[in-house]
Formats: sequence, structure tokens, C-alpha cells
Amino acid sequence: MANPIIEVKNYSYKYDGSDVIVLKDLSFTINEGDFVGIVGCNKAGKSTLCKSLVGILPFVAGGSWSGEIIVDGKSLNETRGSGVTDVIGIVFQDAESQFTQQTVEDEIAFAMCNFGYSRELMIERVKFAAEACGLSSMYDRSPYHLSGGQQQRLAVASILALQPRVIILDESTSQLDPIGRDEVFRLVRELHRQGKTIIMVDHNIEMLAEYADKILVLHEGELVAYDESHKVFTNKELLNRHSVRVPQVTDAALGLKETYTGNSGTPITLKEAEEYFAGLKGRGDQHE
Amino acid sequence: MSETVIRTENLVHVYPRGEVKALKGVNLEIKKDDVVSIIGQNGSGKTTLVRHFNGLLKPTSGKVYLFDEDTEGQSVAEMSRRCGYVFQNPNHQIFTTKVIEELEVGPRNFNFTAAEMKESIERVVELMDLKDILEQHPMTLDYTTKKIVTIASVLAFKPEVLILDEPTGGLDEVGRQMLTRIINMMHDEGHTVIMISHDMDYVAENSSRVIVMCQGEVLDDNVPEKIFLNSEVLEKAQVEPPQITQLDLFLSAGKNEETILSVEKFINKYNAKRGGNN
Ligand SMILES: Nc1ncnc2c1ncn2[C@@H]1O[C@H](COP(=O)(O)OP(=O)(O)OP(=O)(O)O)[C@@H](O)[C@H]1O
Ligand SMILES: [Mg+2]
Repeated sequence: MANPIIEVKNYSYKYDGSDVIVLKDLSFTINEGDFVGIVGCNKAGKSTLCKSLVGILPFVAGGSWSGEIIVDGKSLNETRGSGVTDVIGIVFQDAESQFTQQTVEDEIAFAMCNFGYSRELMIERVKFAAEACGLSSMYDRSPYHLSGGQQQRLAVASILALQPRVIILDESTSQLDPIGRDEVFRLVRELHRQGKTIIMVDHNIEMLAEYADKILVLHEGELVAYDESHKVFTNKELLNRHSVRVPQVTDAALGLKETYTGNSGTPITLKEAEEYFAGLKGRGDQHE
Repeated sequence: MSETVIRTENLVHVYPRGEVKALKGVNLEIKKDDVVSIIGQNGSGKTTLVRHFNGLLKPTSGKVYLFDEDTEGQSVAEMSRRCGYVFQNPNHQIFTTKVIEELEVGPRNFNFTAAEMKESIERVVELMDLKDILEQHPMTLDYTTKKIVTIASVLAFKPEVLILDEPTGGLDEVGRQMLTRIINMMHDEGHTVIMISHDMDYVAENSSRVIVMCQGEVLDDNVPEKIFLNSEVLEKAQVEPPQITQLDLFLSAGKNEETILSVEKFINKYNAKRGGNN
């Protein structure tokens, strides 16, 4: 039986001092063990949603809301958001401006300090996260004297070290070099395989198509789709209407539909595309 | 041949803290009509390099020439008037309390007349659709909008060289298209554009030249069609070609006539060729 870890019920949200309703009557459920990608154009409300899932909005940073969000069976309306961090770890979009420690090592360990882990376990986790994020050689560096991408790696590492049941990454790979980004996605998939729930906001459609099982599409605060990745990413018309791209290989397959019928269903990943387009192998290079 | 706007000679930069040797002798020439992308792994020295172009950093050794003038002794103000730099992190760039003030800083510092300032600001407001947020405090904006404001505030003073450090980070399709329009417009108006990016789809479609950095050195410098075929260089620099390029490489098993850098080109290639074969 699927175990709902996050239930959003008729949730609406508005920031203080603004008339715009940023999230409009959202209702959906994320089950424990899901890997959900959130897509949508700017102003869709993605970051607001992420902050709401951990109770920062409205309970810490204010704003008005209606409806409720239930995390691991507890209504945030009742707990006022307290206790959520035991379940969910989040990397904010501009996490790299929010470091608190003097060294990379301490910054990775910092989040764990509040959880009473043993020293051995902390050291092991710091090592694991630092290696995974390519920071092993920088333990003693100051977080403020790193490159932009190294800072983003650090923000991700400190949550990965914590290994909470739910991991939310809000555009946390945007400044990573492509291989570093692949590494983070692979690592997140590994944690997902171990049973963690993953929620990722990312503009990199190709990566989400490869890794996420479900895609949630937000547009101007409304939920316009929440379905299996394959269904969402092959629906070009729906996505384009909401200013979201489809993966390049999907776009190519749809664009050639008139003249080429593939060997399999419409691809959303490179692997699928290699299979789908196998009939064109070598064809493109023949001279007319 | 287009005129040289920036030239570096054995440019070395060592950050005093931790003695990080971020640039190890970079020799480069940027031409006036370049739309050049700088790519490469995190920490390879991209930001460090471009910060020498507007004087935010000074060489530990080596030289930087702007429009054939040695920049030694030039102030940040002098240099950034000509080389406008949009920061990687918008939070580090914004320092006023209203969006409109943020836009006015450059033109005012660089002695635009009132009329010039008005004209220039109206233009960027229109171009980047900012009219509804002019009175807002920039720090209350979401990350992406902040990024757009920082780009606008540099465009507002019309620098000859526009330097964008990771401009696509966080931008959606609409934002990317807007950015493309801006880059094209700047190019058409005779400005030089330098951008740093990890977004290979964007780089592939929007640059005339690509510089690959690796551990403080320039590893390769060529047109995107050549760069994205050089798997050895790409691997070393921790980057990979766009997905559509990878698919084409797979299908043509390396025997490419032409590098495919966009979906549109892919469709044309396989459409035409199939037609020809049938
Ligand atoms: N203020 C600083 N003090 C000390 N070292 C620094 C500082 N800023 C950057 N570095 C180091 O200098 C090297 C080059 O960094 P730089 O910021 O130029 O990289 P980058 O190519 O822009 O990376 P990214 O893609 O992550 O933005 C890295 O090793 C980095 O850790
Ligand atoms: Mg940088």
C-alpha cells in the first residue's frame, strides 16, 4: 500500500503585502518513495510550494493561506510547522547565500548537529556527502571562498549528509557543471532506491525525464498536470502551453512523426531515443 | 577582421586565502563581434577570468588589455563602464532598495544626461518587462526575477562588452528566449557578448565561439560545431554535448558531415536524408 508522506489539501497561499494568490487551491499527494519532478515557468509558484511543504511558509516567514498540508500524518496547521525538519530536508534555490559555518566540513556537519548523531556517524556521513559532491579536497576552505558551483555543491552535500526521509532540491543543480549535475542526479537516485522520497524542481527537463517517476506541472499557482513522467513529457501541447519544453529527443521524435515511425514508444530519454531512432542509424550520412 | 576588445597575456590569479591558483597563465583575445561562451567545470576559473575584465580582480601577474589599453592602474569604474558584468549570484550585485534605483545606478555613475538615462531605462524596462516591479524592493523578489533585474541594470548603461555569468540559471523558456533576444540585439548593435554557462543546449545554439576552461587554463577555443565533437576535451572539462547532439553522434556513428546542435537541425537532417533515400 502506498504510504502518503505529503498530502496537500486545497492549499492556497498569498505573500503579505501583495494581492496575488501565488498558489491556488492545490491538492495532491506524494507517497513515500516517490521521485517527483516539479516543472513550470517562472512565477509558477514552485519555490513557494517547496517552502510551504516544510512549513516555512506561512508559519515562519508569514503570509496568508487556506487549506492544509499534512506531512507524515501531521497537519502543519496544528504543529505550526515544527518537527517537519525531522522528515524533510530542503536545499533552497539560493542556498549558497545562506552558509553559517567557517569551513566546508563544518557546514556539511552543521545540519546534523541538531539531530544528536554519534561522532562516528557524522564523520562517515560528511565523508560520503563530500565525496559525492566533489568537495573532498576542500574541507578546510571557507564556504565564502568557493566558486558559485562549489557553493551549490556544498548546499546539496549538507542535506545529503542528513539523509532525511524526504529530500527537496529547489533548482539545486543549475550552477553545476554537466558532469557534476549528473553526479548529483545519480546520487539522488541512489537514495531514492534506498527508499527516500525525492522532490526536485529543475529546469533541466532532460535530467528530470531520465530520473523522475512523476512530474507535477505548475502554472500560475495552479496544478495543471500530475502524472507519470512519460505521459507528461510526451504531451508537448500541454507543456508548451505552459512555457515548458519537452526533452530534446522527444521534440525530435514528434517533429519527425510524419516521416518516421519509431521502433518503440515516443522516447523521453537518450537511451529510449537510441532505440526509437535505430531505424535511422547510418541513414543520415548517406549522400543523396 | 574584427577589432580586438580584450586581450590577456599570461594572466595568472592566485587568491590570497588558501593560496588557490585559479588562473595559470591565460592567453586570450576577444573580438568585437564575438558572442563567446566560456564553459568548464566548477572551479575551473571562469568567474575569476571575467572579473579581470571589469577590474573586480587584478592580475597576480600577467596583463589584461581593454581596447588595446593596458588596464594596470585603471579603476573598476573605468573598466566596468566598458565591460558591464552581471554577477553569477544576483544577491551579490543588488544594493539599492528599489528596482528603479537599481537600474539608475549605472547611468548615473557614468554621467548619462537626464534624457539619455530616461531613454535607456525605458528601453530596458520595455525589453525585460519590468514596469510592474519598478517600485519593489529588489531583495523581496524571487531569485529569477532578481537575476533579470541585475541583467537589466547592466544593460541600462550600455557597456561595449556585456559579460553574463551564468545567465540562464533559474530561467524558464520564456526567460531564455528573452535572453536570446537581448544577446542578439546587443550583437546586432555592435556590442561584444561574453557569457559563462553550464547550460550546453543554450551555449550550442547561442554562441559563435566557445572557450573551454580546465583547472585555470584554456583547454580549447573554437566554434561550437567543433567543440561539441571533441569528446576528449569535453570529458576533461566535465561537460557533455546537448542531448540532441549525442543522439546524432550515436546515429551517425561518428561519421558526421555536420555537427547537429539543435533539434531543428536534427529534424532537417533526418527529414531531408530520408526523403533523398526513398
Ligand atoms: N574568493 C575566493 N577566495 C579563494 N578562492 C577562491 C575564491 N573564489 C574562487 N576561488 C577558487 O578559485 C578557483 C576558481 O574559481 P572560479 O570562481 O573562478 O570558478 P568558476 O569556473 O567560475 O566555477 P563555477 O562554475 O563553479 O562558477 C576555485 O578553485 C575556487 O575554489
Ligand atoms: Mg563561476
